[in-house]
Amino acid sequence: MKKLLLIALMASALFAQVKQGEDIAVPYIPYPIKMGKGFNAVQANCLTCHSFGYIINQGPQSKDFWAGKVIKMVMHFKAPIDKKDTQTIIDYLFKHYGNGKLK
Amino acid sequence: MKRRDFFKTSLAAAGALSVGSTLQAAHQPLTGQLISKLNFPEKRPMITYSDRPPLLESPRHVFARSITNNDEFFVRWHMPEIPTYIDIEKFRIKVSGLVETEFEISLHDLKTQYEQVEVTAALQCGGNSRSAFSPTTGGIQWGSGAMGCAKWKGVRLRDLLHRAGLKKGAKWIGFNGLETASYYKTPNFIRELQLEELDDHVIVAYEMNGEDLPYLNGYPLRLVIPGTYSDSWVKMLSEIRVTREYEKLFFMDIAYRVPDNDCECETPEKKYPRTKPITKMNVKSVIGYPETGALVQNGSHIVVRGVAFDDGTGITSVKVSVDGGKTWNDATLDDGSAGRYAFRGFRHSFKPQTLGKLTIMAKAINRAGKEQPLDKDVKWNHGGYKYNGIDEITVEVI
Repeated sequence: MKKLLLIALMASALFAQVKQGEDIAVPYIPYPIKMGKGFNAVQANCLTCHSFGYIINQGPQSKDFWAGKVIKMVMHFKAPIDKKDTQTIIDYLFKHYGNGKLK
Repeated sequence: MKRRDFFKTSLAAAGALSVGSTLQAAHQPLTGQLISKLNFPEKRPMITYSDRPPLLESPRHVFARSITNNDEFFVRWHMPEIPTYIDIEKFRIKVSGLVETEFEISLHDLKTQYEQVEVTAALQCGGNSRSAFSPTTGGIQWGSGAMGCAKWKGVRLRDLLHRAGLKKGAKWIGFNGLETASYYKTPNFIRELQLEELDDHVIVAYEMNGEDLPYLNGYPLRLVIPGTYSDSWVKMLSEIRVTREYEKLFFMDIAYRVPDNDCECETPEKKYPRTKPITKMNVKSVIGYPETGALVQNGSHIVVRGVAFDDGTGITSVKVSVDGGKTWNDATLDDGSAGRYAFRGFRHSFKPQTLGKLTIMAKAINRAGKEQPLDKDVKWNHGGYKYNGIDEITVEVI
């Protein structure tokens, strides 16, 4: 049994890609977000949970779409975004990442 | 300029996406996206949509092979906080709820006290190829690389449940992983499955292609549910909880759902009121070589390579066209020894005879007679899930 255990331990040491006891570091990527009115609210609220990559890789979307996304963050993900900031963020997203359509 | 030509030069990682057409249909998904210069832990540089949570796509050339390397395997998390350190001596997986004996087990005991099993299975995000949909749907605009296929090793979920002993009335199982949200109140990414959906192929896996799982693919343990979209393959699995009732969960009730009608389709103006989980994968194939934009020599032998898969029903043939869909040839399939859940590799060789643009297409057909539709015939759904249009790439013969 002792021998078996030893083999098992050796095996796990051989297979491991990250050395036991070391942690991994996920890099930060500076996603090129557009500047403009309302950006401060976006930075303060959105970045807590996700990168700007999430915003710029959704594709151009309608105002309703962006409103739905921000409301989802508040309703389902419990992001503490106040009413004023909610509207500011929706306006910002639609202006810079909108498709020009309301619906 | 065709949309896909535009996308060829677009920089998804830099956020340059075009305005989609207003036609309600699909077209070819994004291809040739920029590969980041930055590598993530245990990964080669990949197409990088987000760093928090990490969202990494495999570049197309990876699918010229039917096993996806661990360091090129796609990554998709839902929460910003994922553990970057796990003390394997202290790590335990807990089985609890409506069982005779609740227990916690270490990775070492899992590897030594249970029968070890292996399954080669394709793993695909429900939103893979989402960028094909028009109008653009919500969600990350993935190309075709939110998928991969690996040989998974672990123990049967059944065996763990057997040790715990199910109590009468046990019907649902919830799976919880270690990723956490920034806010305490944010719902965890828990998945629920009905006990009757589970078969012996469902495993709790600690090994991928002969190595520990990479952190970003769920080290030290993840659920493997062959044939099913990856949203149910919970990563960094820490808790298995048996219940009588279905518990209301955001990621089960709101996300990863398609219209509950025959075509699983709807229009942006008239969304279908009832939805269902995406669950089983439909038949699909992706060309790994050559890639759109490649230059190929006139008269030289070209070997088109790619992979095909479905929900485990089994791929029976792949047709390849090298004239933009006018004529179709049977591709040569691999021997299928990796099993019905694995990527089935296919290849087709030909000699281009005419200078100029040449479009290569691939279409998979499975045992049930299901085949991939043309991209334009793929029906729209609001989440952009389950795209499986015939894959198409265009090279230039010189």
